[in-house]
Amino acid sequence: MNASVPVDPRLLEILVCPLTKTALVYDRERDELISTAAGLAYPIRDGIPIMLPEEARKLDEA
Amino acid sequence: MSDKIPTSDAIHVFDRRAVRLHRDRAATTLASVSDVLADVAERLLDRLDDVMRDFSVALDVGGRGVVAPLLRARGIQVVSTDLSPVLAAQAQGVAADEECLPFADASFDLVVANLSLHWVNDLPGALIQLRRVLKPDGLFLASLPALGTLAELRAALTLAEANLTGGAAPRVSPFPDLRDGAALLQRAGFALPVADGDTITLLYAAPFALLRDLRAAGEGNAVRLRDRRIPSAALFPAALAALPTQDGRIPATLRLAMLTGWAPAASQPKPLPRGSAKISLVDALRGDADP
Repeated sequence: MNASVPVDPRLLEILVCPLTKTALVYDRERDELISTAAGLAYPIRDGIPIMLPEEARKLDEA
Repeated sequence: MSDKIPTSDAIHVFDRRAVRLHRDRAATTLASVSDVLADVAERLLDRLDDVMRDFSVALDVGGRGVVAPLLRARGIQVVSTDLSPVLAAQAQGVAADEECLPFADASFDLVVANLSLHWVNDLPGALIQLRRVLKPDGLFLASLPALGTLAELRAALTLAEANLTGGAAPRVSPFPDLRDGAALLQRAGFALPVADGDTITLLYAAPFALLRDLRAAGEGNAVRLRDRRIPSAALFPAALAALPTQDGRIPATLRLAMLTGWAPAASQPKPLPRGSAKISLVDALRGDADP
């Protein structure tokens, strides 16, 4: 499952958080795109960024 | 049923969860309808051949596997999106909602939305976001089913249901009017907006084939206030039997609105400011103005 497919770096350059339109941080370890502004982590599945807020993981306050 | 019609949420005509589900399911059946989707896409992309400029990076919104190859054949790099993660994976693209796009401003010089914006709740809002991801002087092309699409089916279903139950539930999506197309583009901030009409009539040997194709394309009913009860077994046979025929076949009309708009740029032609004329209109009409 964790044999992560790399995301096209050109794609990472133009992706932003769909809710806040702010920059994302790519977490290679968890294969997630993190929006600190929205407090959400968008999953990347087999190299496909899933930029849907309802699919995102809520970041804990801690 | 004690379904109240909500007022605060009235803008949500469509159930986006259902739209996504229908598209997820369509992943395995799209091939059977790709000729129709590709026909519309070709008509839409014909406009590129009339434009005297090159495009390098395009956003393909919900192109269901037919738009991206046509763009790549023109030497354009493509990023495909779909609301359905399954279709996004098929396209090696990004799962994204047209109602909240995940792209930075000025990322593309071309945006193509082929038959993919008619299940969007806030169409003006989606158009504004699509305009913002365009670079200045970037081109937006969209085909949308307009009012008149599937009119035969809508009429037959409404009549049959009224005869059976005395009422009728929305079973065919409400489509925008072609005449509103250019105004929608203008409202979203596009320059030089154009909305052309185009009509495709599909002829079906059997009425159920039309419904099968709609489902195969992921175009099942996603109107939020749709009647979720299983309809009376008599409804569809009665409605389909009442469809008009043409040489023994059942016509299904696609009334298409082809939208073209440009992201504003200083280089584009613009009207002069009001009051900047140097010749009186009265004199010009009289024909004695200075040349």
